Amino acid sequence: MKIVVAIIKPFKLDEVTDALRALDVSGMTITEVRGHGRQRGHTEVYRGAEYTVDYVPKVRLEVVVDDPDAQPVANAIVEAAKTGKIGDGKLWIMPIETVVRIRTGEAGSDAL
Amino acid sequence: MRGSAFSRAYGQFIDEWLRTLVPDPDGVAVVAVGGYGRQELCPGSDLDILLLHQGRKDMGQLAEQLWYPLWDAGLQVDHSVRTVRQALSEAHTDLKVALGLLDARVVHGDVTLGESLAERVRAAWRHDATRRLPALDAVTTERHAKFGEVAFLLEPNLKEGHGGLRDVTTLAAIAAAGNLVESDPALDQAHATLLEVRVALQRVTDRRSNVLGLEQQDDVARDLGDADADVLMRRVAGAGRTVMWHTDDAQQRVRSWVAGPGRRSAPGEAVPLGHGLILRDGDVVLVDAHLASEPATLARVAAAAAHAAAPIARTTQRDLADQAPVLDTTWTPETREAFVAFLGAGAAAIRVFETLDQHDLMTRLIPEWAAVRSRPQRNAFHQFTVDRHLMEAAARAETLTRRVERPDLLLVGALLHDLGKGYPGDHTAAGVTLMETITTRMGFPPADVATLVQLVRQHLILPKIATSRDLGDPATLRFVADEVGDVATLELLYALTEADSRATGATAWTPWRAELIEDLVDAVRATLRAEAPRRPAAPPIEPPTGPPPAQPSVAVDGATVRVVGRDQPGLFATTVGLLALHGQDVRAARAASSPDVAVAEFDVESLFGAPVRASEFEAELHLALDGRLDLGDRLAERGRAYARLEMRAAAYIAAPLVIIHPNESPVAAIVEVRAPDGVGVLYRIARAFVGAGLDIRLAKIATLGHEVVDTFYVVDAGDARRPSADELAGVESAVLKALAPN
Repeated sequence: MKIVVAIIKPFKLDEVTDALRALDVSGMTITEVRGHGRQRGHTEVYRGAEYTVDYVPKVRLEVVVDDPDAQPVANAIVEAAKTGKIGDGKLWIMPIETVVRIRTGEAGSDAL
Repeated sequence: MRGSAFSRAYGQFIDEWLRTLVPDPDGVAVVAVGGYGRQELCPGSDLDILLLHQGRKDMGQLAEQLWYPLWDAGLQVDHSVRTVRQALSEAHTDLKVALGLLDARVVHGDVTLGESLAERVRAAWRHDATRRLPALDAVTTERHAKFGEVAFLLEPNLKEGHGGLRDVTTLAAIAAAGNLVESDPALDQAHATLLEVRVALQRVTDRRSNVLGLEQQDDVARDLGDADADVLMRRVAGAGRTVMWHTDDAQQRVRSWVAGPGRRSAPGEAVPLGHGLILRDGDVVLVDAHLASEPATLARVAAAAAHAAAPIARTTQRDLADQAPVLDTTWTPETREAFVAFLGAGAAAIRVFETLDQHDLMTRLIPEWAAVRSRPQRNAFHQFTVDRHLMEAAARAETLTRRVERPDLLLVGALLHDLGKGYPGDHTAAGVTLMETITTRMGFPPADVATLVQLVRQHLILPKIATSRDLGDPATLRFVADEVGDVATLELLYALTEADSRATGATAWTPWRAELIEDLVDAVRATLRAEAPRRPAAPPIEPPTGPPPAQPSVAVDGATVRVVGRDQPGLFATTVGLLALHGQDVRAARAASSPDVAVAEFDVESLFGAPVRASEFEAELHLALDGRLDLGDRLAERGRAYARLEMRAAAYIAAPLVIIHPNESPVAAIVEVRAPDGVGVLYRIARAFVGAGLDIRLAKIATLGHEVVDTFYVVDAGDARRPSADELAGVESAVLKALAPN
């Protein structure tokens, strides 16, 4: 099993959710986060004084899937979240040892 | 069987049973304590039983006879075996034991023995009240913090919550200590409702639960014959609020009583608050009960109590409940201003609001309020019932009033923005109609009504767009700019959004969300600014043509005082000072001058009744301008008499704000001043300008409820030119210093 983690622009969440539904992804976790990548936040002018915003609001999305589904899910997220501009975000895939459904105790793929 | 009928029947059943368990009660008494003593047993309640004796030898055996069958039946028993002396000593040191024994009821055995204990416990409680009540106050406050409010929580704790059954017991204990609380049928009714719901809850869950969970609400509603869970929760909220209000009121009275007369204003000493109101013994009192029937009185009492952070006297509450008229026709400006001032007290207004609600007085001011009263919002997002949410939003808006040009529109908009939730259909659509009807009735001019309607219509646009649209896309900004219309409305919406979100609950205004919304507002503001330059500079009043009169002339028309004179430094300031000295509160003013002639109009309100007499005022004005009447000294003296009141109000209101625009007008510097209203505020500002060598060319003065919103166009008093940056350097600090409390 794999976990797909994506950091995306907040307003892209709805489109990404729709894209994942189309792939029958059954569950995901969303967190409101802040961060920056290569662009290092953005510069604003406030009452004449320029200041730098270090961290910008993003959404962090986590999906746990079976190994063969990881790449299609990643592709769907990338496609839906892309605007082509700076700050579109990142995505990474990591291996997972096991998953347990707490209510029933089911483990592994059965718990997805 | 429901509620108290069940409790009584269950209690009687247990009583009978206990009698059979102790067949030989010689020299002992079986005493029911706590909830069992009060006949308020619920299906899962503990049985609090005291086995009282006078030193009988076989007490151990007797106790076993009593407790074992109860335990075997699976009942939870809180048991004790004591002599009268032991019980009294225990009650003396342990608050919980004392409270339980206040409800002692002899079930079986030696009635005289049991009654004598009950009597001595009550006597000790009264005698020791100065020690017991503060301790009770402390545990009550702690419990409230821990369990939250019955009226507002999604899943309230019916027993321990703020406004729950334990508070009813607490009120009874306070009543047992002395003459601090009064009985009230509404409280009894609320008590019965909570008991009924708790009995049903424990029956439905078959457990000792006191938390009315979301999952159980449908079943409990069915058990009680309520149409659905919304109906049930509205009843619970109403009952919880009544109990909460009585508890808060009692706690406040306990504290005041414990603090003693030294900490209150001296008995009989009355501080005048204007309009027939005084502050006496820490309460706001309406001196003449007949004034309660006047339209502006209710709002004035509310404003005075909120700003003084003082409770409304009980007699005044009753006078208002009996006589305050329903305001179903157009409000007078006085009523509107007093109402806005009430909202402008911020967090301090909430307590007053709850007092008004206890007497259903909000609906006298706004009849449409009835539809949202205690209406629950059953979702995890909202913390409060609709009506309290609206009041909380207004209170939070108060902290943001300095960000907008029109604090009155922000406060009223916040109070009414969700009123549509009490009506069928989409709450925004219903809210638009309600806002238009109500604010027109409040007497707002059509342009303001339009702005307020716009606030309701768009009150969700900022959070929605900020979290779901690309803020870097010009089309997004164009869309919001078109929907909102102008910068002033945008600032109002932004402040309303923050106040609304903060009043909703902890999850609605996270730093994450706040930042997205701020980014959107900044971008839309820039878009709108680029299109519409701000600030039309038309004079608020036309200066008269022709030669100036030799001496300033004064004309009075109703509540408007008009002064025309040669344009001389200090004319405006002196007139304002003299008005203050005459007990006239300047609510609005317009001033302008041509090179020679100056004119100023003042809309005044007399704090203590007497109108301005033109001839007398004119004569004094001439004396003052000639330097033969020292206004400063006499105003300072008058100011001291009010200092106490202003100090109280100042604790709740934002500090004054001075913004200077040196270059926005080609002919003068523009100075904006925002400050809490108070005696002589305008005079102090005007004097600060005179002191800084500036002459007032134009002035636009407004009092919006509690808040002074002033704009001055000032020029150099010597050469009448726009002041340089150097000349303006000290103005901000001079005005702030003039406004600082003495």
